[in-house]
Amino acid sequence: MISVAAKVNKKRRNAVQSVVCPLIFGVALIAAWQTGLLHTLLNTDEYVLPYPTRIATIMSENSDKIMANVWASVEVAVLGLIFGSILGYLIAIFATVFPKYGSGGLTIVSAFNAIPIVALAPVIINWTKDVSSEAEVRSMVAKVIVVTVVSMASMSVNAYRGLTELPPFSDDLMKTYAAGRLTEFFKLRLPNSVPYIFTALRVSVPGSVISALVSEYFAEYITGVGRQIRENILIAQYSTAWAYIVTACIIGIVMYAVLMLIEAVALRKRR
Amino acid sequence: MKIIKKILNSKAFVTLVWIAVIIVIWEICATRVAEVKRTPENVLPHLGGIVDSLTSDRKINGSQSALEMVLENAGATLSRAAIGYVIGIASGFVLALLMSLSGIIEKIAFPYLMLIQLIPILGMAPIINAITGDIAISRIVIAAILTFYPVAANTLAGFKSVRREAHELMYSYAANKFQLYTKTMIPACIPYFFTGLKISAPMAITASILVDTLQGGIGLGCLLSQSLKGAMTRYVFWDIVVFSAVIGILSFYLMGLIETLLCPYKRIGKKG
Repeated sequence: MISVAAKVNKKRRNAVQSVVCPLIFGVALIAAWQTGLLHTLLNTDEYVLPYPTRIATIMSENSDKIMANVWASVEVAVLGLIFGSILGYLIAIFATVFPKYGSGGLTIVSAFNAIPIVALAPVIINWTKDVSSEAEVRSMVAKVIVVTVVSMASMSVNAYRGLTELPPFSDDLMKTYAAGRLTEFFKLRLPNSVPYIFTALRVSVPGSVISALVSEYFAEYITGVGRQIRENILIAQYSTAWAYIVTACIIGIVMYAVLMLIEAVALRKRR
Repeated sequence: MKIIKKILNSKAFVTLVWIAVIIVIWEICATRVAEVKRTPENVLPHLGGIVDSLTSDRKINGSQSALEMVLENAGATLSRAAIGYVIGIASGFVLALLMSLSGIIEKIAFPYLMLIQLIPILGMAPIINAITGDIAISRIVIAAILTFYPVAANTLAGFKSVRREAHELMYSYAANKFQLYTKTMIPACIPYFFTGLKISAPMAITASILVDTLQGGIGLGCLLSQSLKGAMTRYVFWDIVVFSAVIGILSFYLMGLIETLLCPYKRIGKKG
């Protein structure tokens, strides 16, 4: 009995430690930043690296403008993510149905993943010049396509694994049931691929935010958090730029948290 | 006949067919664009045109041909990317090692390791450029940060993948910490470590090119934005796009090749 109590105690202490330790580190880091220790370490001044309090003030003062840019970026990231994931999943289905040519196609798709976004964004912006006469719509389409291409690759590779790496003997079971290919797909392969979809999204959600921000750099129409970081640095408004950087980080973290939430709900019966 | 059949069924052949399909589609689109656009090379040039511009020795900026120019700028960008990459690998590996050695360090660092992945580092490129004040250093720093996370996370997963039996065996040999790490833990994490390398190699290159576009000077990104603004023929832009795509893909395969050369498990796996 004593040993069980000790074990529980140890577990509790572990849990407390894993919250407290990072927290202490974070507080120490912010304290070093606020007191100027960080500036000495990085050999920079409070103009380029403003104090946290200053960044917070600017964020609260310009919250309307920041939120408008946040929506512009999030819209691009989410739309691209949705299109890219659907497209990636369709490619995975294609690869499952035609294994020989499909998996070769997957190699090509994952090679696309290695193409730098920096090279991709200007090309796609060139291609979408005729989509609309309005710069805002044009840029939006171009940015969404960039995010789509980036999030497509991880989804197609992971979904293909989910559709083909079946639990042992499950396809034999399907054969005993004399299930058709469609039944096998909907009753076995599709459900089996759900956890893999989330594995893919864990990669592509942060990826979609990053590629949305980067594609804004090259877009015609000036909007979005990424573009604001750059524009404000060009006019040497470093504090405002930092406000947008902090915003960008918050976007990344919030979107990942939302994904975790959806995953917890979607996979609750599997745990 | 058997050999022909074998070639037709091989994976390389399938990939080749796909590449051929992509080239055909590209050329059809390029022909279509050439008919309707006044300056087709701005939208989609023929692949032949891109190859021509790379092989011709016509001087573009008075002293260099397109190929020389791309290569010189690529040298500046890629060498910085490589330095950052190596620094990122080394620090990522060391952090993973420290996290595996000490529970406290793991507890402190793990949440932040997760956070780094969620923060759009590339969005921070302009500010890092402002802090360091030197474009070469900021290329290195950003490439290193981007490399750091995949390497650290994958290596740590490698350390955790060591099976309980292996630990028990080392315990019965009365192995000390140093022996435990050199004989079991580090060899076990190498495949995971290389996964990290493969993920981060194209990222380091992307980061370096992106940092280039922020400032004038020498580098692929600078050349790219100059060409987009019309300072030189648009073909330079296409040369860079093709070049960086090829380098990005090659860097991925290069890591795979290094893994095969260095690691016995890869070669044995191929034979059996």
